[in-house]
Amino acid sequence: MVEDPHGQGGDRLARQRFEEVFLPHLDAAYNLARWLLRNDQDAEDCVQDAYLRAYKAFPRFRGGDGKAWFMTIVRNVCYTAIKKLRSHETPEHFDEEIHCAADDGMKQGEFQKKANAESLQKGLDKLPPEFREMVVLHDLEGHSYKEIAAIAGIPIGTVMSRLARARDRLRATIIASSTKENSP
Amino acid sequence: MKCEEAARLIDPYLDGELDLTACVSMEEHLAGCPACRARLEAQQALISAVRDETPSFKASPFLATRIRASLRAEDSVAKKVSWWADLPITSIYLALGSMLGLIAVAVFLSSSAPSSQLAQEAISDHVRSLQVNHLMDVASTDQHTVKPWFAGKLDYSPQVIDLASSGYPLIGGRLDVLDHRYVAAIIYQRRQHYINLFTWPADKSPLGNKDYEQNNYHVLGWTKNGMNYLAVSELGEKELREFAEMIKNQIVPPME
Repeated sequence: MVEDPHGQGGDRLARQRFEEVFLPHLDAAYNLARWLLRNDQDAEDCVQDAYLRAYKAFPRFRGGDGKAWFMTIVRNVCYTAIKKLRSHETPEHFDEEIHCAADDGMKQGEFQKKANAESLQKGLDKLPPEFREMVVLHDLEGHSYKEIAAIAGIPIGTVMSRLARARDRLRATIIASSTKENSP
Repeated sequence: MKCEEAARLIDPYLDGELDLTACVSMEEHLAGCPACRARLEAQQALISAVRDETPSFKASPFLATRIRASLRAEDSVAKKVSWWADLPITSIYLALGSMLGLIAVAVFLSSSAPSSQLAQEAISDHVRSLQVNHLMDVASTDQHTVKPWFAGKLDYSPQVIDLASSGYPLIGGRLDVLDHRYVAAIIYQRRQHYINLFTWPADKSPLGNKDYEQNNYHVLGWTKNGMNYLAVSELGEKELREFAEMIKNQIVPPME
């Protein structure tokens, strides 16, 4: 247990301990924030804010999965920022029937060629943030369904269905965009 | 198992999130259903593409510096607040009188003694900047590239001087933290050595002329035209002085 973490003399030690535990998660935090906010500056501001909040809440942190606890804070800060930054934007409408019907025509090898860094990034950026974060947390950051459920504060079943839908939409977007480019 | 159920379980199956029983019935279904197998393969292809091809964003080294500085600042703020909150009103009045006296002494002292804390901070910024990938945020020998890079990152515009013709080529710029604020670090090279020239508005705390030395690092500070300058390097003192003099001679008053 940390005694009097902000008290005299103790604050430097407490800060060191905090930095040792949480700074190793900086890249993970930044990656999530950058994917959610799609902008370097906003992502950096949010991550810094998240660290400050986590630091203030640290005396109340009672052990357990520190990374999940911290990523929850990062995520919350990001969502608050998204609401503020993009309140004027209307989300892109996604017609699941039309898009997902385009699926069948494409051969495996053909799809693999289309799915490059650029098309994947574009496709992910088009997803609503609640879907995008599932792919980022699971496929890029390697969190389990259970950990994602804790970070996002949703049931595991919801993680499962959101991740699946996010992937379906992502594939459909990649296929749709490449057929658009190919047709005259 | 029906196709509808299998379709729902494709993702958790591929992610290794199904329990053993569900896994077994999934595999039984897949063995007899080419349509679901095709779906599974398509999803598998997408997942590997995402894992292998999607770029991950890495935090810039500067962000860690920024975060450390903000945590440090948070500690000093938190301490100040609690210090005031704990005191009864009368003792605040009593303390104020003696504080004013102390401040007068401190101001007098700080105007004559070198602010070694700032110099030490500048040295650690310099040392950290020499660690992998942290020397420059913008790498350029062109002052017209380095100067605009700072625009929007700082609330002032540092003058960027090139001394290539004098043997101190400009090699880039970086944002750094000094004295609880963001400052411009302009980087010069002398043979295999580097010089960090930190510059920020003097405002109410002009640095004045400062010399400082620690473990072979030299720090030279001065104030000119409303800007503070700190040059830090492991270069010999004589050469750093020569560098500082040349910079001083080229500093022009800010345009109104």
